[in-house]
Amino acid sequence: MIPPGTHLPRPVLLRVFFRSLFLQASWNPKGMQNLGLAYALYPALEVLYPDPEKRGEAVQRHLTFFNTHPYVAAAIVGGVLYHEERISKGEEDPSRVNDFKRALMGPLAALGDGFFWLSLKPAVGAFCAALVPWLGAWAAVLFLVLYNLVHFTFRARLFGMGLRLGDRLVEAVARAHLPSRGARLRAVAAASAGASATYLAFEFGSQQGGLGGWLLAGGCLALGALSYVLVARKVPPAALMILAAVLAGLLGAWL
Amino acid sequence: MDVAWGHVALAGAWGALVALERRAFLQAMFSRPLVAATGMGLLLGELQTGLYLGMVLELFYLGAASLGAALPENDTLAATGTTAAASMMAYQSGGGGTPALWSLALLLFVGLGVLGRRIDHLLEGYSARLSVLSMAMAEQGQLERAVRQNLWGIWPYALAYFLVNVACAAVGEGVGAFTSRVPLVALRGLAWAFPAMACVAAAIAARGSHARRAALWAVLGGVGVAVGTGVWAWVQG
Repeated sequence: MIPPGTHLPRPVLLRVFFRSLFLQASWNPKGMQNLGLAYALYPALEVLYPDPEKRGEAVQRHLTFFNTHPYVAAAIVGGVLYHEERISKGEEDPSRVNDFKRALMGPLAALGDGFFWLSLKPAVGAFCAALVPWLGAWAAVLFLVLYNLVHFTFRARLFGMGLRLGDRLVEAVARAHLPSRGARLRAVAAASAGASATYLAFEFGSQQGGLGGWLLAGGCLALGALSYVLVARKVPPAALMILAAVLAGLLGAWL
Repeated sequence: MDVAWGHVALAGAWGALVALERRAFLQAMFSRPLVAATGMGLLLGELQTGLYLGMVLELFYLGAASLGAALPENDTLAATGTTAAASMMAYQSGGGGTPALWSLALLLFVGLGVLGRRIDHLLEGYSARLSVLSMAMAEQGQLERAVRQNLWGIWPYALAYFLVNVACAAVGEGVGAFTSRVPLVALRGLAWAFPAMACVAAAIAARGSHARRAALWAVLGGVGVAVGTGVWAWVQG
């Protein structure tokens, strides 16, 4: 994780990485993740700037607006250290580090949102939810293992890439082909959701037994299909849940 | 009514912990409904309740995401609050968790996600004040104190979600004391409502997956399960 080339001691880098896990602790509408970023970088800034005045200027540089995806922020945190090391040696102008943050936080946020929030999380969530009837509580454990295997590997690698490559990390991130992988994961999420609905309809239907069981299973699947169409027409999901409960409840009470 | 205060406090503590994980630290998905509800059920001695509510709420909130500055409904509070209430209902009724009780909890606490979003929004104001304070401290040269303001943003979340989860567990206890008086016909209706809500949640999940041809993938998944179930039944004779 810690590449050659940086002069920051390993314990300092580990502290920065650990503190970057608190990036969103004081998320606010004005500066967004500004406090979290300054908090994460501070152990390194203490080493790089023994002069309190220079250190104060560095802290203030990072209390300005900052917002990106919390996982891919590791790449920017690493890249900021790459630039701050050069600024502290007088090799770079201090404005470079803010240009770097401004240039990367938007594109990396889009990449992180698309892959982690809209692809990996739904895929692993729906897949493990579908396994609940077979695995029980282990389905929740499997969810954490599968998701975090990818999550922490990426987070640690991105931090290292930022430290090693600085501005060139964009090309390295692009080589990971995250958008195409995300599309496949989204298909897994949809298929797992369909599998869950079918299994639950059959399972509860067979528990009921007889004609009522077939009615329950068929009715549940029909409600699912109808909901799929209605959600697309902007009907609130909570209203659909209540409607389904009322319809199935009345049928169940009547039969 | 015999109130299990230890269980109520435990519900608050777990709810606060996963709320912090969601917002302030790590984001390693301990706060996802499947994990948060299962953990709550396990702690309150109602694992099955936690698992099945977690599964339904995981599917219901599958497509929700915090993109940019947008605040989605709080899926974690929905999971922990609903499970805490359902577990306490099951405890009070003495019959354990049943699909009828799970349905009742889902219907009674359907607004928790929206309430959580409202709380998140209110607490952002506090964090904004911390940000202003931090900048003032940095200008005065108090750098260590300035950056540590970040951690002060954590405690209001812990406190707010502790209290809301305690309230959910307490309401669940109260409702649970009356479930024995619910007519059998209503309980049967509620039992039917659970798989119906689960199927609707799965449909919302398929739509929320943002997959291309999501309907096709969902049908394929369903057909796969139907064929697998049929083959299994045939093998079993």
